[in-house]
Amino acid sequence: MSIPTIPNSNKPNVHHEHIHSKIDLSHRPEASYETVSDSMIKIYVWELPVRIFHWVNALAILLLMVTGIYIGNPFVSASVQEDAYYSMLMGWVRYIHFFSAFVFIANLIFRWYWVFKGNKYATSNPLKRGFWSETFETVKFYALMKNKKPHYVGHNPLAQLAYWIFIGLGSIVLIITGLFLYVEPQPESLFGSAFIWTSLLFGGDSFTVRSLHHLVAWGIMVFIVIHVYLSFREDWLEKNGTMSSIVTGFKTESKHVIEDQHDEEK
Amino acid sequence: MKQEKTILQEVLDRGFSRRDFLKMCTALAATLGLDYSQTNKVVNAMETKKRVPVIWLQMQDCTGCSESFIRSSQPKTESVLLEMISLEYSEVLSAPSGHYAEKSIKDVMEKYKGEYIVVVEGSIPSNDIYLMIAGKSARKELEHVCENAAAVLAYGSCSSWGGVAAAKPNPTGAVPVTDIIKNKPVIVVPGCPPIAEVMTGVIAHYVTFGVLPELDHLGRPKAFYRHRIHDKCNRRAYFDAGLFVENFDDEGSKQGYCLYKVGCKGPTTYNSCAEMRWNGGVSYPIQSGNPCIGCSEKDFWDNGPFFTRVAKIPGTQTTINPDVVGAAVVGATIAGVAAHGALTALDKKKKESKDK
Ligand code: SF4
Repeated sequence: MSIPTIPNSNKPNVHHEHIHSKIDLSHRPEASYETVSDSMIKIYVWELPVRIFHWVNALAILLLMVTGIYIGNPFVSASVQEDAYYSMLMGWVRYIHFFSAFVFIANLIFRWYWVFKGNKYATSNPLKRGFWSETFETVKFYALMKNKKPHYVGHNPLAQLAYWIFIGLGSIVLIITGLFLYVEPQPESLFGSAFIWTSLLFGGDSFTVRSLHHLVAWGIMVFIVIHVYLSFREDWLEKNGTMSSIVTGFKTESKHVIEDQHDEEK
Repeated sequence: MKQEKTILQEVLDRGFSRRDFLKMCTALAATLGLDYSQTNKVVNAMETKKRVPVIWLQMQDCTGCSESFIRSSQPKTESVLLEMISLEYSEVLSAPSGHYAEKSIKDVMEKYKGEYIVVVEGSIPSNDIYLMIAGKSARKELEHVCENAAAVLAYGSCSSWGGVAAAKPNPTGAVPVTDIIKNKPVIVVPGCPPIAEVMTGVIAHYVTFGVLPELDHLGRPKAFYRHRIHDKCNRRAYFDAGLFVENFDDEGSKQGYCLYKVGCKGPTTYNSCAEMRWNGGVSYPIQSGNPCIGCSEKDFWDNGPFFTRVAKIPGTQTTINPDVVGAAVVGATIAGVAAHGALTALDKKKKESKDK
């Protein structure tokens, strides 16, 4: 994790050719900032609720993944023969899985609220003008090709798309299939009957729902690998404190980003 | 006509006492999942109701469902067959054959218009050449016979979901009864074969109450398909304890541990094996040490292998080991990310040297 440093202010960062992003989210609250030098500012990108969501989510996913892998394939068990009476290993693992699942769900609902309530870095709108062309520029940027990708203080459009697919859609599929599996033994209860459509939606049988739950969970793992790598990479290339920003909320950016804001307001 | 007698009379005629009859009704009520206090309803029905005419059709099947049905012990098959229902046409059990058999099916359809029940065993091929009965395609025969039926019972996984004939690559284009019969109530009674008592139970319910049993979202009678095997399994305590059979001759298998790791499909299978058991309540696969193969579930032939835990790729008939594939994909991603990191470093160097 690198500490936000102030790059040599005489020599502007080579990456910043200062292309403006056309994605206009100016109707959303701007982030506050402090000026730290003639050319640099500290901008409060990730508000506290976003950071809390991030770490609660990370912890819940970790617990869910470890317990989930155990439930799918119980890799440890008592080596001495004993009566079922003395042990409750699978029972406890399942309990932790369910508990973390409810934390995960509540946390996600909270984040959805913040999508509408938070600053402009807490939201995303793929329908905005420029979103898809800038996504394409971002793809070129990651392919190490010549590109016109603007510098983003928050998430670039490709990252936003990944959040939509994995954290948005992936989580929802996991939650729906997971709740179905959770209430499956009580099909006549209120919750049980509320989730019958789930199995119909995903193919009609319990096995398909279970399989989907399992496979999408691995999809989230793939996301995490890429997410962590690209965060470090951003931190390393931009030297803007990306890694520490998810703890402190602040990124160190060139003053241009604020000029951008004013440009947008015009 | 024998049809005119009530079921009670039929029983008494066969030399049983009224006491035997009441015993039979009590057992029947228990099979139906009724409360003991409801037994009189069953008695009442059997005393007043006449037998239900049944036409039993066999499509692409193995006769396993018929075999299971005639081994029903509760209520005793001979009583169901002879007293509760009147099996007017069955390819396995009927005495007449050829034209006589065809004539008997025609007679029933005319005489009991709107009253008879059609039982279907086996799937129906989409391509007619694979199954012709008395010169007619299976589909035509089914549509024809069901025209005047009161209800249709799809016995077994083949007529319920397509079964073995519909397994990948489904050469005959086998489809379940519900794909063809749309204008009649179809009760789906899956299993390969279904438990005998479940099959007779569905008929008994119809005789007793005169209406079809309550069905779930897939058309199965709730009384018998409400729970998964896993919810009622006698090995469930070992599952919760985390004690698993690792292979079939280890100490755990002798101790009766849970069969989850040797591929038990109980957690995704809806059936009443764990409650009703088989052969008159003697045992069922899991009790006897074999993991559930999920025979009452849709596409169960493609959900295998039987003795491994797998996941199905939704929308396909392909199964994979989700953890092996998942870990491999994550591993590949890590390798890709490392390579990308190295390339980024090179690219950065190149740009910096250019800037100088
Ligand atoms: S043997 Fe099968 S059905 Fe029984 S508890 Fe184990 S996994 Fe569940």
